[in-house]
Amino acid sequence: MKTRINRILAGLAAMTVAVFIWLPCLHLIFLKSDSHFRQGQGLSPEAQHLAAWQIHLWTDPALREKELNKMRVSNAEWDFMGRSYLVWSLANMALRDPASRPLYLHTMDQIIDETLRLEKEQGMYFFLMDYAKQGPYLMQPAHSLFLDGEIAMMLASRRMVEDKPEYKVLLTQRVDAMVGRFQKSPQMILESYPDECWTFDHCVALDAIKMADYLDGTDHSRLIHDWIAMAKQKLVDPKSGLLISSFTTRGAPLIGPEGSSLWMVAHSLQLLDPEFARDQYERTRKQLGTITLGFGYAHEWPETWRGPADVDSGPIIPVFDISAGSSGIAFIGASSFGDDQFLTSLATTLDFAGFPSQTGGRLKYCASNQVGDAALLYAATLGPMWEKVEKGANHENNY
Amino acid sequence: MKIITEKKFALLQRAESMSPRDMVQRAAAISGLFLLVHLAGFREYTGILNGTIGSVDLGWKLSAFLAGVYILVYLAFVILVPVLVLAAAVLTVGQRVITRAK
Repeated sequence: MKTRINRILAGLAAMTVAVFIWLPCLHLIFLKSDSHFRQGQGLSPEAQHLAAWQIHLWTDPALREKELNKMRVSNAEWDFMGRSYLVWSLANMALRDPASRPLYLHTMDQIIDETLRLEKEQGMYFFLMDYAKQGPYLMQPAHSLFLDGEIAMMLASRRMVEDKPEYKVLLTQRVDAMVGRFQKSPQMILESYPDECWTFDHCVALDAIKMADYLDGTDHSRLIHDWIAMAKQKLVDPKSGLLISSFTTRGAPLIGPEGSSLWMVAHSLQLLDPEFARDQYERTRKQLGTITLGFGYAHEWPETWRGPADVDSGPIIPVFDISAGSSGIAFIGASSFGDDQFLTSLATTLDFAGFPSQTGGRLKYCASNQVGDAALLYAATLGPMWEKVEKGANHENNY
Repeated sequence: MKIITEKKFALLQRAESMSPRDMVQRAAAISGLFLLVHLAGFREYTGILNGTIGSVDLGWKLSAFLAGVYILVYLAFVILVPVLVLAAAVLTVGQRVITRAK
Protein backbone atom coordinates (compact mmCIF):
# COMPACT_ATOMS: atom_id res chain seq x y z
CA MET A 1 0.00 0.00 0.00
CA LYS A 2 2.79 2.36 1.02
CA THR A 3 4.69 1.50 -2.16
CA ARG A 4 1.61 2.24 -4.25
CA ILE A 5 1.05 5.61 -2.60
CA ASN A 6 4.73 6.46 -3.03
CA ARG A 7 4.56 5.49 -6.68
CA ILE A 8 1.48 7.65 -7.28
CA LEU A 9 3.03 10.60 -5.47
CA ALA A 10 6.24 10.23 -7.46
CA GLY A 11 4.18 10.04 -10.68
CA LEU A 12 2.24 13.18 -9.79
CA ALA A 13 5.46 15.01 -8.95
CA ALA A 14 6.95 13.98 -12.30
CA MET A 15 3.76 15.11 -14.08
CA THR A 16 3.98 18.50 -12.36
CA VAL A 17 7.59 18.93 -13.42
CA ALA A 18 6.61 17.91 -16.98
CA VAL A 19 3.77 20.45 -17.06
CA PHE A 20 6.15 23.23 -16.05
CA ILE A 21 8.61 22.15 -18.73
CA TRP A 22 6.07 21.61 -21.51
CA LEU A 23 3.59 24.49 -21.26
CA PRO A 24 6.13 27.30 -21.77
CA CYS A 25 7.54 25.33 -24.76
CA LEU A 26 4.22 24.42 -26.38
CA HIS A 27 3.98 27.57 -28.52
CA LEU A 28 7.40 26.84 -30.06
CA ILE A 29 5.90 23.95 -32.05
CA PHE A 30 3.49 26.35 -33.75
CA LEU A 31 5.74 29.41 -33.92
CA LYS A 32 6.70 30.67 -37.38
CA SER A 33 8.63 33.76 -38.46
CA ASP A 34 6.55 36.91 -38.94
CA SER A 35 7.40 36.88 -42.65
CA HIS A 36 5.54 33.58 -42.97
CA PHE A 37 2.25 35.40 -42.38
CA ARG A 38 2.95 38.80 -43.91
CA GLN A 39 5.72 40.28 -45.98
CA GLY A 40 6.56 43.89 -46.83
CA GLN A 41 6.99 43.02 -50.51
CA GLY A 42 5.39 40.23 -52.54
CA LEU A 43 3.16 37.56 -51.05
CA SER A 44 3.87 35.56 -47.91
CA PRO A 45 3.50 31.76 -48.00
CA GLU A 46 0.39 32.08 -45.79
CA ALA A 47 -1.21 34.56 -48.21
CA GLN A 48 -0.45 32.35 -51.21
CA HIS A 49 -1.96 29.26 -49.62
CA LEU A 50 -5.03 31.01 -48.22
CA ALA A 51 -5.62 32.72 -51.57
CA ALA A 52 -5.33 29.42 -53.42
CA TRP A 53 -8.23 28.00 -51.37
CA GLN A 54 -10.34 31.15 -51.68
CA ILE A 55 -9.84 31.39 -55.45
CA HIS A 56 -10.56 27.67 -55.77
CA LEU A 57 -13.95 28.27 -54.14
CA TRP A 58 -14.76 30.70 -56.95
CA THR A 59 -13.88 28.10 -59.61
CA ASP A 60 -15.97 25.33 -58.05
CA PRO A 61 -19.61 26.41 -57.70
CA ALA A 62 -20.73 23.30 -55.79
CA LEU A 63 -17.97 23.65 -53.20
CA ARG A 64 -18.64 27.38 -52.89
CA GLU A 65 -22.33 26.79 -52.32
CA LYS A 66 -21.55 24.23 -49.63
CA GLU A 67 -19.17 26.61 -47.81
CA LEU A 68 -21.47 29.63 -48.12
CA ASN A 69 -24.51 27.65 -46.96
CA LYS A 70 -22.69 26.64 -43.78
CA MET A 71 -22.16 30.32 -43.00
CA ARG A 72 -25.63 31.46 -44.04
CA VAL A 73 -27.19 29.08 -41.50
CA SER A 74 -25.67 31.33 -38.81
CA ASN A 75 -25.38 34.69 -40.48
CA ALA A 76 -26.16 35.89 -44.03
CA GLU A 77 -23.80 38.83 -43.43
CA TRP A 78 -20.83 36.44 -43.45
CA ASP A 79 -21.61 35.43 -47.04
CA PHE A 80 -21.41 39.11 -48.01
CA MET A 81 -18.39 40.01 -45.90
CA GLY A 82 -16.47 36.99 -47.17
CA ARG A 83 -16.87 38.45 -50.66
CA SER A 84 -15.76 41.91 -49.50
CA TYR A 85 -12.65 40.73 -47.67
CA LEU A 86 -11.68 38.54 -50.61
CA VAL A 87 -12.03 41.33 -53.18
CA TRP A 88 -10.07 43.76 -50.98
CA SER A 89 -7.39 41.09 -50.48
CA LEU A 90 -7.15 40.35 -54.18
CA ALA A 91 -6.70 44.05 -54.93
CA ASN A 92 -3.79 44.22 -52.50
CA MET A 93 -2.41 40.98 -53.94
CA ALA A 94 -2.63 42.31 -57.49
CA LEU A 95 -0.63 45.36 -56.42
CA ARG A 96 1.92 43.13 -54.68
CA ASP A 97 2.18 40.53 -57.43
CA PRO A 98 1.58 42.09 -60.89
CA ALA A 99 2.33 38.81 -62.68
CA SER A 100 -0.82 37.21 -61.27
CA ARG A 101 -2.96 40.30 -61.86
CA PRO A 102 -5.17 38.78 -64.66
CA LEU A 103 -6.29 35.92 -62.37
CA TYR A 104 -6.97 38.25 -59.46
CA LEU A 105 -8.88 40.75 -61.63
CA HIS A 106 -10.96 37.98 -63.14
CA THR A 107 -11.88 36.64 -59.69
CA MET A 108 -12.65 40.13 -58.37
CA ASP A 109 -14.96 40.83 -61.31
CA GLN A 110 -16.67 37.48 -60.86
CA ILE A 111 -17.35 38.18 -57.18
CA ILE A 112 -18.46 41.78 -57.72
CA ASP A 113 -20.78 40.89 -60.61
CA GLU A 114 -22.39 38.03 -58.71
CA THR A 115 -22.81 40.13 -55.57
CA LEU A 116 -24.44 42.96 -57.52
CA ARG A 117 -26.69 40.47 -59.31
CA LEU A 118 -27.83 38.94 -56.02
CA GLU A 119 -28.43 42.37 -54.51
CA LYS A 120 -30.50 43.35 -57.55
CA GLU A 121 -32.48 40.11 -57.82
CA GLN A 122 -32.98 39.25 -54.14
CA GLY A 123 -32.88 42.71 -52.63
CA MET A 124 -30.66 44.04 -49.88
CA TYR A 125 -32.21 41.74 -47.25
CA PHE A 126 -30.50 38.76 -48.90
CA PHE A 127 -27.23 39.74 -47.24
CA LEU A 128 -28.71 40.97 -43.95
CA MET A 129 -29.77 39.12 -40.85
CA ASP A 130 -33.50 38.43 -40.52
CA TYR A 131 -34.16 41.11 -37.92
CA ALA A 132 -33.59 43.75 -40.64
CA LYS A 133 -37.20 43.10 -41.65
CA GLN A 134 -38.62 43.62 -38.18
CA GLY A 135 -39.02 47.38 -38.52
CA PRO A 136 -38.80 50.14 -41.11
CA TYR A 137 -35.62 52.05 -41.82
CA LEU A 138 -36.03 55.60 -40.48
CA MET A 139 -34.47 57.16 -43.57
CA GLN A 140 -36.40 56.32 -46.72
CA PRO A 141 -35.87 54.85 -49.22
CA ALA A 142 -34.28 52.10 -47.14
CA HIS A 143 -30.56 51.53 -47.58
CA SER A 144 -28.02 49.63 -45.54
CA LEU A 145 -24.70 51.41 -45.14
CA PHE A 146 -23.21 47.98 -44.42
CA LEU A 147 -23.93 46.89 -48.00
CA ASP A 148 -23.38 50.22 -49.74
CA GLY A 149 -20.06 50.90 -48.04
CA GLU A 150 -18.57 47.46 -48.64
CA ILE A 151 -19.81 47.24 -52.24
CA ALA A 152 -18.39 50.71 -52.92
CA MET A 153 -15.07 49.62 -51.47
CA MET A 154 -15.12 46.45 -53.58
CA LEU A 155 -15.66 48.55 -56.72
CA ALA A 156 -12.99 51.07 -55.68
CA SER A 157 -10.52 48.28 -54.82
CA ARG A 158 -10.92 46.73 -58.24
CA ARG A 159 -10.38 50.10 -59.87
CA MET A 160 -7.28 50.73 -57.76
CA VAL A 161 -5.66 47.84 -59.63
CA GLU A 162 -7.01 48.60 -63.10
CA ASP A 163 -9.85 50.88 -64.07
CA LYS A 164 -13.04 49.52 -65.55
CA PRO A 165 -15.53 52.03 -67.03
CA GLU A 166 -18.65 50.09 -65.92
CA TYR A 167 -17.43 50.05 -62.35
CA LYS A 168 -16.61 53.78 -62.46
CA VAL A 169 -20.29 54.52 -63.10
CA LEU A 170 -21.42 52.10 -60.39
CA LEU A 171 -18.94 53.48 -57.84
CA THR A 172 -19.92 57.08 -58.56
CA GLN A 173 -23.61 56.23 -58.16
CA ARG A 174 -23.01 54.39 -54.88
CA VAL A 175 -20.74 57.16 -53.49
CA ASP A 176 -23.08 59.97 -54.52
CA ALA A 177 -26.00 58.16 -52.90
CA MET A 178 -24.09 57.66 -49.62
CA VAL A 179 -22.86 61.26 -49.59
CA GLY A 180 -26.41 62.48 -50.25
CA ARG A 181 -27.70 60.51 -47.28
CA PHE A 182 -24.85 61.71 -45.05
CA GLN A 183 -25.83 65.28 -45.94
CA LYS A 184 -29.50 64.51 -45.28
CA SER A 185 -28.78 63.06 -41.81
CA PRO A 186 -28.53 65.78 -39.15
CA GLN A 187 -26.11 63.62 -37.08
CA MET A 188 -24.16 62.26 -40.11
CA ILE A 189 -25.25 58.79 -38.98
CA LEU A 190 -26.64 56.21 -41.42
CA GLU A 191 -28.44 52.94 -40.76
CA SER A 192 -27.15 49.48 -41.50
CA TYR A 193 -30.26 47.96 -39.90
CA PRO A 194 -33.43 49.86 -38.90
CA ASP A 195 -32.28 52.54 -36.44
CA GLU A 196 -29.08 50.54 -35.87
CA CYS A 197 -25.84 52.08 -37.09
CA TRP A 198 -22.30 50.70 -36.93
CA THR A 199 -18.93 52.44 -36.58
CA PHE A 200 -17.39 49.66 -38.68
CA ASP A 201 -19.76 50.37 -41.59
CA HIS A 202 -19.26 54.13 -41.42
CA CYS A 203 -15.48 53.76 -41.51
CA VAL A 204 -15.56 51.35 -44.46
CA ALA A 205 -18.00 53.63 -46.33
CA LEU A 206 -15.77 56.64 -45.73
CA ASP A 207 -12.73 54.64 -46.89
CA ALA A 208 -14.61 53.89 -50.11
CA ILE A 209 -15.47 57.58 -50.52
CA LYS A 210 -11.83 58.52 -49.98
CA MET A 211 -10.72 55.91 -52.51
CA ALA A 212 -13.24 57.31 -54.99
CA ASP A 213 -11.75 60.75 -54.40
CA TYR A 214 -8.33 59.33 -55.26
CA LEU A 215 -9.63 57.57 -58.36
CA ASP A 216 -11.91 60.23 -59.77
CA GLY A 217 -10.48 63.50 -58.47
CA THR A 218 -13.52 64.36 -56.34
CA ASP A 219 -13.09 65.88 -52.89
CA HIS A 220 -15.10 64.76 -49.88
CA SER A 221 -12.44 65.72 -47.34
CA ARG A 222 -14.82 68.05 -45.50
CA LEU A 223 -17.42 65.28 -45.08
CA ILE A 224 -14.76 62.89 -43.75
CA HIS A 225 -13.34 65.54 -41.44
CA ASP A 226 -16.79 66.38 -40.04
CA TRP A 227 -17.70 62.72 -39.50
CA ILE A 228 -14.45 62.04 -37.63
CA ALA A 229 -15.09 65.11 -35.45
CA MET A 230 -18.62 63.85 -34.72
CA ALA A 231 -17.31 60.34 -33.91
CA LYS A 232 -14.69 61.70 -31.49
CA GLN A 233 -17.35 63.72 -29.76
CA LYS A 234 -20.28 61.27 -29.68
CA LEU A 235 -19.09 57.74 -30.37
CA VAL A 236 -16.18 57.35 -27.95
CA ASP A 237 -16.86 55.49 -24.72
CA PRO A 238 -15.50 57.84 -22.02
CA LYS A 239 -14.33 55.03 -19.71
CA SER A 240 -12.18 53.12 -22.19
CA GLY A 241 -11.56 55.83 -24.79
CA LEU A 242 -12.61 53.25 -27.40
CA LEU A 243 -15.16 53.77 -30.16
CA ILE A 244 -18.47 52.11 -29.46
CA SER A 245 -19.66 49.59 -32.03
CA SER A 246 -23.30 50.40 -32.71
CA PHE A 247 -25.70 53.20 -31.96
CA THR A 248 -29.05 54.66 -32.94
CA THR A 249 -29.50 57.34 -35.59
CA ARG A 250 -29.33 59.87 -32.73
CA GLY A 251 -25.95 58.54 -31.61
CA ALA A 252 -27.22 56.75 -28.48
CA PRO A 253 -25.02 53.69 -27.76
CA LEU A 254 -26.47 50.23 -28.48
CA ILE A 255 -23.37 48.06 -28.27
CA GLY A 256 -20.18 49.29 -26.63
CA PRO A 257 -16.60 48.81 -27.76
CA GLU A 258 -16.17 45.25 -29.07
CA GLY A 259 -13.07 43.63 -30.43
CA SER A 260 -14.75 42.05 -33.45
CA SER A 261 -15.33 45.62 -34.75
CA LEU A 262 -12.54 47.69 -33.24
CA TRP A 263 -9.49 46.10 -34.87
CA MET A 264 -10.99 46.66 -38.34
CA VAL A 265 -12.20 50.13 -37.38
CA ALA A 266 -8.65 51.11 -36.41
CA HIS A 267 -7.41 49.81 -39.75
CA SER A 268 -10.12 51.72 -41.66
CA LEU A 269 -9.37 54.90 -39.74
CA GLN A 270 -5.75 54.77 -40.92
CA LEU A 271 -6.94 56.13 -44.24
CA LEU A 272 -9.13 58.80 -42.66
CA ASP A 273 -7.25 60.06 -39.61
CA PRO A 274 -3.94 58.24 -38.93
CA GLU A 275 -3.41 59.72 -35.45
CA PHE A 276 -6.90 58.78 -34.28
CA ALA A 277 -6.40 55.34 -35.83
CA ARG A 278 -3.12 54.79 -33.96
CA ASP A 279 -4.73 55.93 -30.70
CA GLN A 280 -7.65 53.52 -31.18
CA TYR A 281 -5.31 50.64 -32.05
CA GLU A 282 -3.10 51.18 -29.03
CA ARG A 283 -6.09 51.40 -26.71
CA THR A 284 -7.63 48.27 -28.25
CA ARG A 285 -4.33 46.40 -28.05
CA LYS A 286 -3.90 47.36 -24.39
CA GLN A 287 -7.46 46.57 -23.33
CA LEU A 288 -8.34 43.63 -25.56
CA GLY A 289 -5.12 42.01 -26.81
CA THR A 290 -3.27 39.44 -24.68
CA ILE A 291 -0.31 37.11 -25.05
CA THR A 292 -0.14 34.11 -22.70
CA LEU A 293 2.73 31.60 -22.90
CA GLY A 294 3.50 32.80 -26.43
CA PHE A 295 -0.10 32.52 -27.66
CA GLY A 296 -1.83 35.74 -28.74
CA TYR A 297 -5.57 36.24 -28.58
CA ALA A 298 -8.17 38.93 -28.07
CA HIS A 299 -11.13 39.58 -25.82
CA GLU A 300 -14.40 40.88 -27.18
CA TRP A 301 -15.11 43.38 -24.40
CA PRO A 302 -12.95 45.73 -22.34
CA GLU A 303 -13.17 45.58 -18.54
CA THR A 304 -15.23 48.76 -18.54
CA TRP A 305 -18.02 47.47 -20.81
CA ARG A 306 -19.06 43.84 -20.59
CA GLY A 307 -21.50 42.37 -23.06
CA PRO A 308 -22.78 38.95 -24.06
CA ALA A 309 -21.35 36.57 -26.64
CA ASP A 310 -23.10 37.16 -29.95
CA VAL A 311 -22.83 36.32 -33.62
CA ASP A 312 -19.93 38.77 -34.02
CA SER A 313 -17.85 37.66 -31.04
CA GLY A 314 -18.45 33.95 -31.64
CA PRO A 315 -18.53 31.65 -28.61
CA ILE A 316 -16.34 33.06 -25.83
CA ILE A 317 -13.90 30.59 -24.30
CA PRO A 318 -14.15 30.92 -20.53
CA VAL A 319 -11.23 31.40 -18.13
CA PHE A 320 -9.09 33.07 -20.81
CA ASP A 321 -12.08 35.11 -22.11
CA ILE A 322 -11.05 34.43 -25.71
CA SER A 323 -13.31 35.61 -28.50
CA ALA A 324 -12.79 33.86 -31.84
CA GLY A 325 -14.29 36.84 -33.69
CA SER A 326 -12.14 39.43 -31.97
CA SER A 327 -9.00 37.26 -32.23
CA GLY A 328 -9.55 36.75 -35.97
CA ILE A 329 -10.04 40.45 -36.72
CA ALA A 330 -7.10 41.31 -34.43
CA PHE A 331 -4.85 40.04 -37.25
CA ILE A 332 -6.00 43.02 -39.34
CA GLY A 333 -5.18 45.49 -36.57
CA ALA A 334 -1.79 43.97 -35.76
CA SER A 335 -0.85 43.77 -39.43
CA SER A 336 -1.95 47.36 -40.16
CA PHE A 337 0.03 48.85 -37.32
CA GLY A 338 3.16 46.72 -37.73
CA ASP A 339 2.69 45.09 -34.33
CA ASP A 340 4.88 42.12 -35.26
CA GLN A 341 5.07 40.61 -31.79
CA PHE A 342 1.30 40.46 -31.45
CA LEU A 343 0.84 39.32 -35.06
CA THR A 344 3.31 36.46 -34.64
CA SER A 345 1.68 35.37 -31.38
CA LEU A 346 -1.78 35.48 -33.02
CA ALA A 347 -0.46 33.36 -35.90
CA THR A 348 0.95 30.90 -33.35
CA THR A 349 -2.50 30.56 -31.77
CA LEU A 350 -4.05 30.17 -35.21
CA ASP A 351 -1.83 27.22 -36.00
CA PHE A 352 -2.48 25.74 -32.55
CA ALA A 353 -6.24 26.18 -32.32
CA GLY A 354 -7.38 27.12 -35.82
CA PHE A 355 -6.99 23.56 -37.10
CA PRO A 356 -5.28 24.27 -40.43
CA SER A 357 -6.02 21.95 -43.30
CA GLN A 358 -3.72 22.17 -46.30
CA THR A 359 -4.06 20.12 -49.45
CA GLY A 360 -2.37 20.80 -52.76
CA GLY A 361 -1.13 24.21 -51.66
CA ARG A 362 -4.62 25.31 -50.59
CA LEU A 363 -5.01 26.32 -46.98
CA LYS A 364 -8.12 26.73 -44.91
CA TYR A 365 -8.68 26.80 -41.18
CA CYS A 366 -11.32 24.32 -40.08
CA ALA A 367 -12.09 26.30 -36.90
CA SER A 368 -12.72 29.30 -39.11
CA ASN A 369 -15.01 29.68 -42.13
CA GLN A 370 -14.82 31.35 -45.54
CA VAL A 371 -15.23 34.86 -44.16
CA GLY A 372 -12.74 34.21 -41.36
CA ASP A 373 -10.16 32.89 -43.81
CA ALA A 374 -10.81 35.83 -46.17
CA ALA A 375 -10.25 38.26 -43.27
CA LEU A 376 -6.97 36.47 -42.48
CA LEU A 377 -5.99 36.77 -46.13
CA TYR A 378 -6.76 40.49 -45.97
CA ALA A 379 -4.54 40.82 -42.88
CA ALA A 380 -1.76 38.97 -44.70
CA THR A 381 -1.91 41.21 -47.77
CA LEU A 382 -3.13 44.68 -46.68
CA GLY A 383 -0.98 47.71 -47.26
CA PRO A 384 -0.58 48.57 -50.94
CA MET A 385 -4.07 50.05 -51.45
CA TRP A 386 -3.84 52.31 -48.42
CA GLU A 387 -0.31 53.39 -49.45
CA LYS A 388 -1.52 54.26 -52.92
CA VAL A 389 -4.36 56.43 -51.63
CA GLU A 390 -2.15 58.06 -49.00
CA LYS A 391 0.48 58.95 -51.60
CA GLY A 392 -2.20 60.47 -53.79
CA ALA A 393 -3.76 62.21 -50.83
CA ASN A 394 -0.47 63.87 -49.90
CA HIS A 395 -0.97 66.52 -52.53
CA GLU A 396 -4.75 66.39 -52.83
CA ASN A 397 -5.84 66.49 -49.20
CA ASN A 398 -6.62 70.01 -48.05
CA TYR A 399 -7.60 69.64 -44.44
CA MET B 1 12.80 -14.32 -32.06
CA LYS B 2 11.02 -15.55 -28.98
CA ILE B 3 12.76 -12.90 -26.83
CA ILE B 4 11.66 -10.09 -29.19
CA THR B 5 8.05 -11.31 -29.18
CA GLU B 6 8.02 -11.50 -25.40
CA LYS B 7 9.42 -7.96 -25.15
CA LYS B 8 6.76 -6.65 -27.52
CA PHE B 9 4.10 -8.42 -25.54
CA ALA B 10 5.44 -6.95 -22.31
CA LEU B 11 5.11 -3.43 -23.75
CA LEU B 12 1.42 -4.05 -24.40
CA GLN B 13 0.73 -5.48 -20.96
CA ARG B 14 -1.05 -3.18 -18.53
CA ALA B 15 1.61 -1.48 -16.42
CA GLU B 16 1.38 -0.39 -12.79
CA SER B 17 -0.53 2.86 -12.44
CA MET B 18 1.66 6.02 -12.63
CA SER B 19 4.75 4.04 -13.53
CA PRO B 20 6.86 5.28 -16.50
CA ARG B 21 5.55 2.48 -18.67
CA ASP B 22 1.96 3.30 -17.69
CA MET B 23 2.52 6.90 -18.75
CA VAL B 24 3.99 5.90 -22.11
CA GLN B 25 1.12 3.47 -22.67
CA ARG B 26 -1.44 6.21 -21.96
CA ALA B 27 0.41 8.59 -24.29
CA ALA B 28 0.36 5.96 -27.02
CA ALA B 29 -3.35 5.31 -26.49
CA ILE B 30 -4.17 9.02 -26.78
CA SER B 31 -1.99 9.32 -29.88
CA GLY B 32 -3.80 6.39 -31.45
CA LEU B 33 -7.17 7.91 -30.64
CA PHE B 34 -6.10 11.23 -32.11
CA LEU B 35 -4.93 9.52 -35.29
CA LEU B 36 -8.31 7.83 -35.50
CA VAL B 37 -10.46 10.97 -35.13
CA HIS B 38 -8.10 12.91 -37.39
CA LEU B 39 -8.30 10.34 -40.18
CA ALA B 40 -12.06 10.17 -39.69
CA GLY B 41 -12.21 13.86 -40.64
CA PHE B 42 -13.61 15.20 -37.36
CA ARG B 43 -11.37 18.29 -37.80
CA GLU B 44 -13.81 19.58 -40.44
CA TYR B 45 -16.47 20.16 -37.78
CA THR B 46 -14.44 22.51 -35.57
CA GLY B 47 -15.97 25.56 -37.27
CA ILE B 48 -18.33 25.42 -34.30
CA LEU B 49 -15.63 27.42 -32.48
CA ASN B 50 -16.69 30.52 -34.39
CA GLY B 51 -20.38 29.69 -34.54
CA THR B 52 -20.40 28.00 -37.97
CA ILE B 53 -22.13 24.69 -38.43
CA GLY B 54 -19.74 21.88 -39.34
CA SER B 55 -22.15 20.27 -41.77
CA VAL B 56 -25.61 21.42 -42.83
CA ASP B 57 -26.56 17.79 -43.47
CA LEU B 58 -25.54 16.56 -40.00
CA GLY B 59 -27.11 19.49 -38.17
CA TRP B 60 -25.94 21.51 -35.17
CA LYS B 61 -26.02 18.84 -32.46
CA LEU B 62 -24.05 16.11 -34.22
CA SER B 63 -21.60 18.63 -35.71
CA ALA B 64 -20.99 20.12 -32.26
CA PHE B 65 -20.52 16.67 -30.75
CA LEU B 66 -17.96 15.62 -33.37
CA ALA B 67 -16.17 18.98 -32.97
CA GLY B 68 -16.13 18.55 -29.19
CA VAL B 69 -14.65 15.06 -29.46
CA TYR B 70 -11.98 16.26 -31.88
CA ILE B 71 -11.02 19.29 -29.79
CA LEU B 72 -10.72 17.26 -26.58
CA VAL B 73 -8.65 14.51 -28.18
CA TYR B 74 -6.49 17.09 -30.00
CA LEU B 75 -5.79 19.00 -26.78
CA ALA B 76 -4.95 15.73 -25.07
CA PHE B 77 -2.59 14.91 -27.94
CA VAL B 78 -0.69 18.22 -27.96
CA ILE B 79 -0.69 18.87 -24.22
CA LEU B 80 -1.14 15.62 -22.33
CA VAL B 81 0.91 13.28 -24.53
CA PRO B 82 4.15 15.32 -24.27
CA VAL B 83 3.53 15.81 -20.55
CA LEU B 84 3.13 12.06 -20.05
CA VAL B 85 6.24 11.26 -22.07
CA LEU B 86 8.27 13.92 -20.23
CA ALA B 87 6.95 12.73 -16.89
CA ALA B 88 7.92 9.16 -17.76
CA ALA B 89 11.43 10.38 -18.58
CA VAL B 90 11.66 12.43 -15.36
CA LEU B 91 10.44 9.47 -13.34
CA THR B 92 12.86 7.04 -14.98
CA VAL B 93 15.81 9.37 -14.42
CA GLY B 94 14.68 10.00 -10.85
CA GLN B 95 14.37 6.27 -10.09
CA ARG B 96 17.84 5.57 -11.53
CA VAL B 97 19.39 8.36 -9.49
CA ILE B 98 17.74 7.04 -6.30
CA THR B 99 18.77 3.45 -7.09
CA ARG B 100 22.39 4.50 -7.67
CA ALA B 101 22.41 6.56 -4.48
CA LYS B 102 21.25 3.54 -2.53
